[in-house]
Amino acid sequence: MKKLSLLIGAGLLLLSSCDSGSKIDEQAFLDSLQTTESNSPVISEEVLESILQQIPSPLEIAVLLKESGTNYDIELLNGTDQLATYNSNFKKALNLGVYGTDLGYTNIYEQNQDAFEYLTAIRDLADGLSIGQFFDFGVIRRLATNSRNLDSLLLITTKNFNNINASLQEQQRANLSVLLLTGGWLEALHIICQVTERNMNNEELKERIGEQKIILENIMLLLSFYSESNPNIKELSDKMAELQAQFDKIEITQTYAESTLEEVNGIVTISNNSTTTINITDENVKEISRITSSIRDYIIK
Amino acid sequence: MPHKHMKVIVGVLSIIIGLFLNTTEVTAQCDPAVYTEACIPQLVDGFNFVKSYEINGEGGAKDKVEYSYVFAKGTQYFLNICADGDQTDGIVVSLYDSNRKKVGTSFANGNFNKGIIYPCNATGIYYITFTFEGSQQHCGGAVLGFKR
Repeated sequence: MKKLSLLIGAGLLLLSSCDSGSKIDEQAFLDSLQTTESNSPVISEEVLESILQQIPSPLEIAVLLKESGTNYDIELLNGTDQLATYNSNFKKALNLGVYGTDLGYTNIYEQNQDAFEYLTAIRDLADGLSIGQFFDFGVIRRLATNSRNLDSLLLITTKNFNNINASLQEQQRANLSVLLLTGGWLEALHIICQVTERNMNNEELKERIGEQKIILENIMLLLSFYSESNPNIKELSDKMAELQAQFDKIEITQTYAESTLEEVNGIVTISNNSTTTINITDENVKEISRITSSIRDYIIK
Repeated sequence: MPHKHMKVIVGVLSIIIGLFLNTTEVTAQCDPAVYTEACIPQLVDGFNFVKSYEINGEGGAKDKVEYSYVFAKGTQYFLNICADGDQTDGIVVSLYDSNRKKVGTSFANGNFNKGIIYPCNATGIYYITFTFEGSQQHCGGAVLGFKR
């Protein structure tokens, strides 16, 4: 099917090149391919893909915040007024991830009007990267105007982001996928850090920050694949290394226990007492928050 | 154009078209996207969809398909399998922790269950492995959902 899609895609590209109205999109697509070709890492696509798909959804943090009783705060998010300043593919991909997390946050808090603004910004960035075809904005607009459609809206945007990542990898543009995930992860870290700093008594939030050490290790690995060949990614990676140094101070210990299984109506529920303990101090949280804000400023400004 | 040249061109084109049709026919045998799409509405109530997983055993050539994901403490995860028909067609999902120790499986007491729910107490990378036990199609999809 991939071969068929590629052939059809190539055919459509040839056909669309005859249409002067599609010149801008076509040029953006070709430009982005060029950018990627010079940045191909020396690792297999399979390995790259397996690391990329490990990175958890930023939605998990938004759900945690909402369920821990934290109020919605749009000031935590990156305003869509910054959009026009994102001109390079590097900035577009990073901020597509940032806005993706912000969209998830607004969705979880059922703030449909704000969600719609983020969707519009995401459409513009996605179009700029020639991946806007995954968003059916007619459907999304309809869903966003009714809070009863929240589950569908959440589902459709999650699917769109998954499709974008898969497509970027298929198109050999996984460097953009890495940036998208990095931007999204960093924004989620920024939000949870800001919320936690206001309430240092919330041990669950502090633990969740500490756990990000595991994800950051993967992100650093992904960035390292492109750092040699891409000066922008090298610069970002150097900044992230400072964050990693702070996360290295956090200790995560694991204890293992055997599981028991219970079958109910065709579903197995696993009971497992394996645990992790995360030793993170208030000072660690403050430092992580400070460095995260600094990297975020570099990304969004 | 001489008749002989025409014959050569037609011959070469036939081979190319034949090869193309043959390739698409073989690869079209398993379309996991159909199953992943069907699987999303089957997530148990309260779980948010996060990822879908394609399970393509390539007609039996592959004995397992593996993915990984970082699970977080305090979160419940639900993995649901979809295959041809209502059952799992012998597809089994097993979960392994970062040390490759088995955490659980959908195949329990001789039953091919549709999914597993894992209330996670230990944050880390988990390996989600799909295997085929007497599967006919070696083809399916799965989705991952989470809730607090």
